[in-house]
Amino acid sequence: MTFLTDPVGWWIEPFTSNAFMTKALAGGLLAVLTTSVVGTWVVLRSLNFLGDALTHGVLPGIAIAFIVGFDTGLGALVAAIVMVSAISFIPRISPLSEDTSTGVLFVGFLALAVVIMSSGAGANAGDLGRFLFGSITGVQNSDLVRQVVVAVVAVGGAVVFYRAFFVMTFCEVQAEMARMRPRLTHGVLMALLAITIVGSFQVVGSLLVMSFLIAPPATASMLVRRVPLIITTAVLIGAVSVYVGLLLSYHHRLAGGGSMALTAVAILFATMLIRALVHALRPGPPDDALPVQMLADSR
Amino acid sequence: MTIEAGAHQRGGRRIRRSGLVVTVAAVLFAAACTGSDDDADAVDAADAPSAVPSVVATTGIWADVVSNVGCEDSVSVTTLIPEGGDPHSFEPSLRDRETMDAADLVVANGLGIEERLVDTLEAVAAEGVHVFEVAEHIETIEFEFSGGHDDHGDDDHDEGHDDEDGHDHDEDDGHDDDHDEGHDEDDHSDHEDEDGHDHDDEAHEDEHDHAHDHSGGDPHVWFDPQRVAGVLGELADELIHAGADADTVNRCLDAYRAALGDADAEIAEILDSVPADRRIMITNHDSFGYFADRYGFEVVGTVIPSTSTGAESNPALLEELAEIIEHEGVPAVFSETTTGDADIQALATAAGDIAVVQLLTGSLAPAGQDGDTLIGMLKFNAHAIADALG
Repeated sequence: MTFLTDPVGWWIEPFTSNAFMTKALAGGLLAVLTTSVVGTWVVLRSLNFLGDALTHGVLPGIAIAFIVGFDTGLGALVAAIVMVSAISFIPRISPLSEDTSTGVLFVGFLALAVVIMSSGAGANAGDLGRFLFGSITGVQNSDLVRQVVVAVVAVGGAVVFYRAFFVMTFCEVQAEMARMRPRLTHGVLMALLAITIVGSFQVVGSLLVMSFLIAPPATASMLVRRVPLIITTAVLIGAVSVYVGLLLSYHHRLAGGGSMALTAVAILFATMLIRALVHALRPGPPDDALPVQMLADSR
Repeated sequence: MTIEAGAHQRGGRRIRRSGLVVTVAAVLFAAACTGSDDDADAVDAADAPSAVPSVVATTGIWADVVSNVGCEDSVSVTTLIPEGGDPHSFEPSLRDRETMDAADLVVANGLGIEERLVDTLEAVAAEGVHVFEVAEHIETIEFEFSGGHDDHGDDDHDEGHDDEDGHDHDEDDGHDDDHDEGHDEDDHSDHEDEDGHDHDDEAHEDEHDHAHDHSGGDPHVWFDPQRVAGVLGELADELIHAGADADTVNRCLDAYRAALGDADAEIAEILDSVPADRRIMITNHDSFGYFADRYGFEVVGTVIPSTSTGAESNPALLEELAEIIEHEGVPAVFSETTTGDADIQALATAAGDIAVVQLLTGSLAPAGQDGDTLIGMLKFNAHAIADALG
């Protein structure tokens, strides 16, 4: 219980006395800033499956780039663009739904990555695992620079397209009628999602990016109602996850990426349970179960 | 444009306020679930104030080598990857990073075998910690992909090195090509390659590039005791540079080099019982290239077609291997302790229920058991291979 008996030593000192902890924290915070902003729309639009698919869809691109000796971030971006395009293209030329085409491309791209890594060319390239979990223990300044660029693009894009995303999410019909080109808006969101994943996987891994995309915004959506508040709360929850996760990894010798992801998910479940408990104990109207998007008093 | 939420609006504010309480509670809950961290301070040997340099080795194998070269407690060695762990898939914690940063020297195998440590090792080196990647200083065998080698029919088992010349080393600068003694198949007692010291330093300077150069050689260098003996001089220099007592280290170095030479001769003797036409190995992943090279064996195929355990087998490959086994009358195949053996068991069954013999590969045996040192592990494997094939 040293986190209570020696709060400074447990909560603060690891960061003040270790440069690598500060860098890990910076990498993690930049990642959650980006993922929370983009992830809020992913959660509100129920695009979780697509996001999940995309985090795996980047793998063959990474694998090829890795083997050829190319920049893995660029490989990931190309794979993400190919995947996003294919997902929206398949429903146009076939009776398959977007959900189905997402699922098919998900496994297709993942299988492609496994095949590449197990083939002759990849025989000495190692394991996909390092891309899935990233390397928070090895964050360098060049990684941080890349993340800053991605954060600026993602946050900037989310601000510019806020209204479009909002209308598309909560009143798609109106969006169609107002000629707001929902397809283009959707494409922009997909592009931001792809950039977010690509920009963060080297530091936190593509699986972890997913947990940050979903868990903090989902937690936030249980607590607050207005979209800007959800985004802000998600960033805060994500930041707490990174902070606590890093400390758990540091104090208890746990894998860094996994600790942060687990903390984010633990906060979600704890919030959910406590919230349910609070509602059960409080007399009055039943739990407010209305989906968050109907409470759009944010305009 | 506002969308009315009707009756549900009422509870909004109250819930929002309780939201903050809930979040704070959740964070405390998450922290409270972490249990005791009393052990947190005990683990970090690197912080202990002491005169001897602290060396962090990634695998237990190199920790054993380091403690033999830095014997009589002239260095303090910490092992990163836990016993029985697969170096290919070990994921570090931030505490591990601290341990590395605090070390006077980090000894890694290199050539990407510590796959999930590559970025971390690079960052540690960038912080100014000296990182010595052993395999970068050893003449490596270029990994050549072929599930079942095409030339398994020919019985020329001692080609090993010669057919390497045809390959293009992508990293020639790290290797000293006239550093070839010790690979002579017949000269098992040759362990006086003092010139292990005069490797050029290029390999050091471009360590960064190497970390991302994945076309390099097979990383499993520790299976050839002569190659290990050949790099000990450089390792000793590193230990002395890190602050270890030079006289002690030089004394340890001579003793350990002799021990490796003796082990090498002993292993060759153990393997004498295997006739030339039965010196054929089928292993789980491609990790016995150096053993084969040293002792005149041929790895005709591997179940996982990769120098990493992270890849996947395929039915065509298994079928091909089964054919080789039947054609050559191979009596046993070799699994390993650090990875699952489902595929190789299936292969052995399919190929007429031949034996599956477990070898030590990426990790030493648990302390106190046969094979808990590098030399012990090499002898353990030699006995197992001789028994299986002899």
